[in-house]
Amino acid sequence: MPEKKLQIALYWGAACGGCDVAVLDTNEFVIGVGFLVDIRLWPIAADGKYRDVEAMADGELDCTLFHGAIRNSENEHLAKLLRRKSKVLVALGSCAHLGGIPGLANQVTKQEILERVYLDNPSIEAGNRVVPLPSTRVDAGELEIPRFYRRVYRLDDVVPVDYYVPGCPPAPEQVKAALQALVNGTLPPARSVIGASNRTVCDDCRRRKEEKKVTRFHRPWEILQDPDRCLMEQGILCAGSATRSGCGVRCPDSGMPCRGCYGPAPNVIDQGAKFVSAVSSIVDSKDPREIERILGDIPDILGYAYRFGLPASLLQRSIR
Amino acid sequence: MEDRRIGVYVCNCGTNIAKVVDCDAVSDFAKKLPGVAVARSYKYMCSNPGQEMIIQDIRELSLDRVVVAACSPRMHEPTFRKALQTAGINPYFLEMANIREQCSWVHDDARAATDKALALAHAAVRRVVHHEPLEKRFVDMCPATLVLGGGIAGLTAALELSDAGQPVFLVEKDDHLGGNLARVDLTAPYLDSARDMLADRIRRVLESPKIEVLLRSTLQSLSGFVGNFRAEIRVGADGARTVDVGSVLVATGFREFDARRIEHYGYGRLPNVVTSFELERMLREGRILTRGGRVPKYFAMIHCVGSRNPEYHGYCSRVCCMTALKYGHEIKSALPGAYVYDLYIDMHAFGKGCEDFYRRTAEMKTMFLMYAKGTTPEIVPSGPDDDCEMLIKVHEVLSGEEIEVPADLVVLMVGMEAREDAADVAHLVSISQDKDGWFIESHPKLDPVATTTEGVFIAGTCQAPKGIPGSVAQAEAAAARILGKISRGKIEVDAVFAEVDETRCSGCRMCNELCPYAAIEYDAATKRSRVISAVCKACGCCVAACPSGAIQGRHFTDRQIFSQIEGVLEWASSQG
Repeated sequence: MPEKKLQIALYWGAACGGCDVAVLDTNEFVIGVGFLVDIRLWPIAADGKYRDVEAMADGELDCTLFHGAIRNSENEHLAKLLRRKSKVLVALGSCAHLGGIPGLANQVTKQEILERVYLDNPSIEAGNRVVPLPSTRVDAGELEIPRFYRRVYRLDDVVPVDYYVPGCPPAPEQVKAALQALVNGTLPPARSVIGASNRTVCDDCRRRKEEKKVTRFHRPWEILQDPDRCLMEQGILCAGSATRSGCGVRCPDSGMPCRGCYGPAPNVIDQGAKFVSAVSSIVDSKDPREIERILGDIPDILGYAYRFGLPASLLQRSIR
Repeated sequence: MEDRRIGVYVCNCGTNIAKVVDCDAVSDFAKKLPGVAVARSYKYMCSNPGQEMIIQDIRELSLDRVVVAACSPRMHEPTFRKALQTAGINPYFLEMANIREQCSWVHDDARAATDKALALAHAAVRRVVHHEPLEKRFVDMCPATLVLGGGIAGLTAALELSDAGQPVFLVEKDDHLGGNLARVDLTAPYLDSARDMLADRIRRVLESPKIEVLLRSTLQSLSGFVGNFRAEIRVGADGARTVDVGSVLVATGFREFDARRIEHYGYGRLPNVVTSFELERMLREGRILTRGGRVPKYFAMIHCVGSRNPEYHGYCSRVCCMTALKYGHEIKSALPGAYVYDLYIDMHAFGKGCEDFYRRTAEMKTMFLMYAKGTTPEIVPSGPDDDCEMLIKVHEVLSGEEIEVPADLVVLMVGMEAREDAADVAHLVSISQDKDGWFIESHPKLDPVATTTEGVFIAGTCQAPKGIPGSVAQAEAAAARILGKISRGKIEVDAVFAEVDETRCSGCRMCNELCPYAAIEYDAATKRSRVISAVCKACGCCVAACPSGAIQGRHFTDRQIFSQIEGVLEWASSQG
């Protein structure tokens, strides 16, 4: 037992809460952790107010696990605040690591999002089509809500991050390993990816790999797959070859293609570009029209290739 | 990184660059860039004084990186690399900015062209900072050569190589040697016997202890790389041979144009319309007869059958004009009373001795009738009063008249075309074909027998239509190139190639089928892919495709390329 309990915070930005569940999925371990650490802030599971954080001395927290992307001014404010209060800041999960699913919104403008969500959405009842503004005057005074940004950022874009734990969500055993390393004081050099390996999902995948020549791409439910053969060779888009490993190959082992949530392989700058390049390399045709037909089977290549990392890519966002 | 000492040299290329790009502005701009120790503009950087300037600066100013803003690196990268080497630094510490082909030659607007040159110079300076020293390597050269095709080109090359003491495997698809020339009687313009020419060569080939002739044989596969090829050959119906060779010479020849394709000439339908090769056979056999067994009196040669006609082949087949003249000589010496008409578009008599031959043929009273390109003479049946088998109607261009000439035998001067198996051969040995199917040489003027695949050479009519002297000259040139490689004993392997980092390769095999040079091997035991560096041409396909980033192109690392792109973008954003 350490003489002084470790002081930690868990916080979410633009997130679904799955990373919190991944932490809870460490089951009895997280309870054990509770004996070793003081959880000072964890909106989903524990008490703690922003003002409590503001009252802390700089560096008072040993570690913050930050999950979720930076979508609005509140996310950024808390990221900066927690950064200042924490000795170690960990980007937990795909959103904090690379921008994640919320990052796909970088394909459209802020205006389009607001119109879609608050005006055009068919589920909005008539007469209630209102776009919320950052500040609203009501009888009681001025009400403020966080400012919605033009684009989504990853945590790294707004504050320096010490460690990245990839995954959507991270595998519970990897969360456990990261927490264990923190408790034991055995963290690797700063700014590295932890809770993952240095190879790709493909490398860990037990499926048989042969030469790849694809004449037709399929959605996973469209064909009866050979459970032992590489999914790509069967025409099912699988991001395993372009994705860092560490997840335990959970998706391909369950008959589903890898979706790329662990991010690019080490040394790769743009996971989506790599994936698109790999896909186009295995199309088995030299006839431009046939190639177009084969690639036409893929409904949303940008969404597929950059599912978890558009804000972290070279593209970052569409500019209009 | 920042304490690099870079020299930037801006070439005026006489006025080629300087007339559009402000070269002094480029060197003044470069002088101020971080890491640049010296920048100069000079009339001809590639000249000896230009190179001396660079060498001297490297030595006196301790430069460790050099940017030359000049022409395409395809033109002078080797020149400047050599200069760096002479000065004592690694030749790969050079980067070229192409401000000629990419600026002055393609833009009129001097201001914009200069702006672009500045951006490219900035990019080159940013890139060269990250250049790494690379070393060339050497592999052993196998002295044996695989010659595909036993025609005059293949025979000639085989003899040249074996006379120099080097082993040759001569692969011939047919059951005899000689190729197309074995079907020819006399040759223009000196009327030498093709049979005599071939017989001696074939005898020497068959007797040579250094040449192994494989008849009824075809190449099945070729793997490896220059100096170290392995060829699988099918011999006869079910035999097989595997041979190791250092070089490959493709001399697979041509096939004749199928005269049936021009329907109104009636070939295959009209009994006395024959092809030039059929007349050759009659001449060789010494029996010139119509199908009905009569000695013909009137001969008509129709030139350019399948050639110089965009519907069939746009090119000139080069040998048919002189061959037709040769028929005039042979026919008149065999049948002194015969009449010979040559229906031609243009008389191509450009070879040595050919213009004289044309004049002598005219003196023998061969009748020359010119028809217009884009038209064809018409063959019609003769009337009951005519003493000939057919009549040929032609609009004679020089007289401007419609002329009918009698013919007992119409000879179609069929052109040359690429063989039906040319695409297969090209694929097997990794060379390219042009739009007409002929194999493509490395450079049409300066490197006519090499190909883009190192160690694979081409000679004879598989490269383009040509006569015997051209085929023989190419065969000898190819043999000389091959002997040159053999005499060096080692093959220099370029230091620029793709490499697989096995600690990052996941064995996904995306790259395996992608390499146009078959330079990637998959090791089933380790489950990793590997690039055979000697075969790699550094095209970068696998580098781009590798989803795990395990393949890097030497001299084209991400770092280098991104720096270059940033160089352009930074310059552009500095302009607002």
